[in-house]
Amino acid sequence: MSLARILRPAVRSPRLYTPRTPTYTASSSCPSRRTYASQTPGNPVMEVFNRKTKHLQKDRAARNIEESRKTDYIKDEVATRLCERLLDIKRTFPQVLDLGANSCNIARALTMPDPDPDAPTGSSPPLSTRISHLTCIDTSEALLHRDADEPFNSQMSLTRQVVPNLESLPFAENSFDAVLSSLSIHWINDLPSLLAQVNSILKPDCPFIAAMFGGDTLFELRTSLQLADLERRGGVSPHVSPLADVKDVGGLLNKAGFKMLTVDVEDIVVEYPDTFALMQDLQAMGENNAILHRELGPLSREVLLANEAIYRQLHMQEGDRGVPATFRLIYMIGWKEGEGQAQPLERGSGQLNLKDLLGGGSF
Amino acid sequence: MASTKTRPIEKFAKAASKCSAEAAAYGKCVVADYNAVQKDMCAKEFMKLKDCFLAASKKP
Repeated sequence: MSLARILRPAVRSPRLYTPRTPTYTASSSCPSRRTYASQTPGNPVMEVFNRKTKHLQKDRAARNIEESRKTDYIKDEVATRLCERLLDIKRTFPQVLDLGANSCNIARALTMPDPDPDAPTGSSPPLSTRISHLTCIDTSEALLHRDADEPFNSQMSLTRQVVPNLESLPFAENSFDAVLSSLSIHWINDLPSLLAQVNSILKPDCPFIAAMFGGDTLFELRTSLQLADLERRGGVSPHVSPLADVKDVGGLLNKAGFKMLTVDVEDIVVEYPDTFALMQDLQAMGENNAILHRELGPLSREVLLANEAIYRQLHMQEGDRGVPATFRLIYMIGWKEGEGQAQPLERGSGQLNLKDLLGGGSF
Repeated sequence: MASTKTRPIEKFAKAASKCSAEAAAYGKCVVADYNAVQKDMCAKEFMKLKDCFLAASKKP
């Protein structure tokens, strides 16, 4: 039997034939296309985190205003470091979006006096003077409005907007001159889609500058909880949410259409008196585990006790009084494509040898 | 939540901090072979830690 004869029934079978006009291009078209499996309309969305849980965690955390403010140390620090990157862009920004604003930490950082330590005049105006209007969006009303009465609100033009979720942005194309985001997008389920949306709401040749937790953040807690779980209960349950890795971020930005990418990493190590203090602080930050298939209810007391002992043994340095916790931050800058934008030079067109310039030798 | 009230986790932490010797023994036992941890591998050490913890948490 020839091959053609075997194939023929499949082509004729009405069940296997797609009645719609095929939309694929001629190069990939094939008269006997088989469609055994059908895909649901639209892109299926990968769900990792429970959005509702995260929303509740943020709301609950922010309702305890005192604790929530006390544990803003990382968010404030990262927002400040993120805003420092604006010093390198000599522009004014009429419309800026703060994506996932938490308690408007970016606005606070922008209004800080004298942000540029290397200013030739010795002092520099706050970054907020270059921004005409900042729109802060977040899902948690309580967290977003927590500091609405603080003095920084009157120092710049600022609106707060509560959105039902951060994964679909309610803005028109080409409406912002910069999009900033500090410590929020690590909770996004569909990062490729969000980045594509950010690219579309930016005006041409405008930057997206973001910081997120990544990779090895809280690796100490992750490992010691795994060991404690294993030894006490004989199995592992995810207690620390997964995070994107540095090496993925460049690809993600590229795929979303950003140009001239800059990605860099920074570790901040914080010392806590014990693991209980660490976990309490994470909770007060609203950064507790929100993975979809997490085990509900609190950690068992046995695991908590075992975790404390293992964490100390595994990660505490000799002579330290507290336990270290690493926060790995990924900073990213991507530019929307625009006319007249600086382009990278062609490969091999360099006139200077970097080795001569930097004084490198043999490695 | 009033900040003057002691949260259960704080009591827990206080009691756990009184058993550092037992905790170190248990930690050493687990970490000594952390590539092949099994359930109840260090049950004996853990029970000592737990007894100490329970005794410490009973004290006011």
